[in-house]
Formats: sequence, C-alpha cells, structure tokens
Amino acid sequence: MRSRWPPPRDRVRPDVVLRLAVRTVSEVCLTAGTLIVLFVAYVLLWTGVKADRAADGEMARLRDSWAAAAPQAAPAAAPGAAAPPPASAAPREPRYAPGRAFAEMYVPRFGPDWVRPVLEGTDAELLKKGLGHYASTARLGAVGNFSVAGHRRTHGDPFKDFPKLRPGDEVILKDAATWYTYTIRGGPLRTLPTDVGVVDPVPRKSPFTAPGRYLTLTTCDPEWGHSHRLVVWGELTGTRAGGQGRPGGSSR
Amino acid sequence: MYGWIWRHLPGNAWVRALISLVLVLAVVFVLFQYVFPWAEPLLPFNDVTVDEGSGATP
Repeated sequence: MRSRWPPPRDRVRPDVVLRLAVRTVSEVCLTAGTLIVLFVAYVLLWTGVKADRAADGEMARLRDSWAAAAPQAAPAAAPGAAAPPPASAAPREPRYAPGRAFAEMYVPRFGPDWVRPVLEGTDAELLKKGLGHYASTARLGAVGNFSVAGHRRTHGDPFKDFPKLRPGDEVILKDAATWYTYTIRGGPLRTLPTDVGVVDPVPRKSPFTAPGRYLTLTTCDPEWGHSHRLVVWGELTGTRAGGQGRPGGSSR
Repeated sequence: MYGWIWRHLPGNAWVRALISLVLVLAVVFVLFQYVFPWAEPLLPFNDVTVDEGSGATP
C-alpha cells in the first residue's frame, strides 16, 4: 500500500534538498582545506626540493665549463701568490652572461656545507635556482660593489640565517680562476625596498666612504614578508688562485 | 560532487578506486606543475632585491 502514497505533485522532498546542500558544502570545504594544505606543502617543501635540484644543476654546469676552460686557466693561476689585490684588468672585462651561473658562494656562518651558485640577474625565475647578482653592479673582485640577492625563505631558504651574519664573517666566492674572500664590515641593516643606494659602488649607509672592492648581500625582512630588506656589506680581503683549496676560515 | 564522480566511473569498486587514485594524482601533478607556480609569486616571499619600482634592475 506504500506505493499508493503519491509524491506530492512534482516537488522534491525538502530533506533530500537539505542533505544535498550539506553534502556539497562539506565537500567544498574539504576540497578547499586539502588545497591549502597542498599549497603550503608546495611552498615550504617542494620549492626547496626544486631549488636544490636547480642549484645542483647550475653548479654541475658551472664546474663543467670551468673544467673545459681549465687548460688555459691553470698555468696562469699557478704563480698566484698569497693574497695580492686582484689584477686591475677585472673592471674592463665584459658583463657576465645574463641568466647564467658564473660563480659559487660559500658562507661559513651558514654552515660548512653551505654553497650556492650565483647567477647573473635578479629575476624571480633566476632566484629560484640560486643567488642573483645585480646586473648593474661590479664584477667579482672588481672596484665597485659586487651585489647579490637571495631568498630568505622558500626556494631552498638560501639566506635563512642572514641575520646571524656579523662583522668579521667571511663570504667566499669562486669563479673560473680565482677564490675571492670578502669580510663583512657592516650590517645586518634593516632598510626599505626602495633604498637602492645600498648597492651603489660606494654603498650608502655602509661603513665605507671611499671607493673600494665591496660586496653587498640583500634579502627580505621580515622572514616571511616583503615590507623591508636586510643588507650586509663586506670588502675584499683576499684572493687566491682557483687551483688552490678553498681559503681557510682565518685567512684575512 | 565526489559521489557523482564515483557513480560515473566504470567498472567495479576496485577499478573505480584505482581510477580515483590516478585522478587524484593527476590533479596534484597539475597543481604542483602549473597552478602553484603561478600562484606563488602572488605571495610576498619573492621580493629580495632593493630595486622595487625604481626600474634600475628588473
């Protein structure tokens, strides 16, 4: 006799509608939650995995290109003595190839195994692979201000420990033929993103007043924000032929 | 929505579960490969240089 109960005209029953609505809202919420968790995992973990892989690739390519160029470079580098100021020919050399890695950076303060490639340019795409050299600034070891930007968070967290840098810390860079040791003299200084003077040849707000062979590193501040920048400055305190080992922690 | 997808998948429960898994992996792949890289620069972690707005160096 149940079939005798006719559905009231063509109307759907309200409890069915309600159930459908509740289920749909729940599914949308679950989906949104999953998306957010996935995105956080992407930003915190996956960009790091990709950045490490890209950095390794850049370093391998860099070392391959150095190995290919080694036969000419090695004899020239051999007589290089302890730590004379670098050859004054450097400023006349052409700019680095855009988008390509040309050096590797070691910062003992960031850990003994910390090494990153330095690429020419500061585009967001390049900074995913390593550190970026401000293309308008000086070449390695040249008179002027060799300026480098890097991520503090995400994309491998290269400059995560940036605030721990102190005057006296060393930043060691190596290009095809030479090790360059820069020693931090000023910073970390918190400044505004528009403060482009910090990468001037004689950086503004730095302890330097006369032209010299300087280094500037920049990253973002606060750690997860972009309202400010953190800056340190250093000056060249030594060079060494690339054939020799990495400069020791105490060489000045 | 998920129930609707499940009902429209072919095969028995095992086949449907397998297809669902493949679909989930495909969605995650598309998200990680295309959607998230697009969305990530909208967050503030990318600004690490001091030339914002000056146009001196991109």
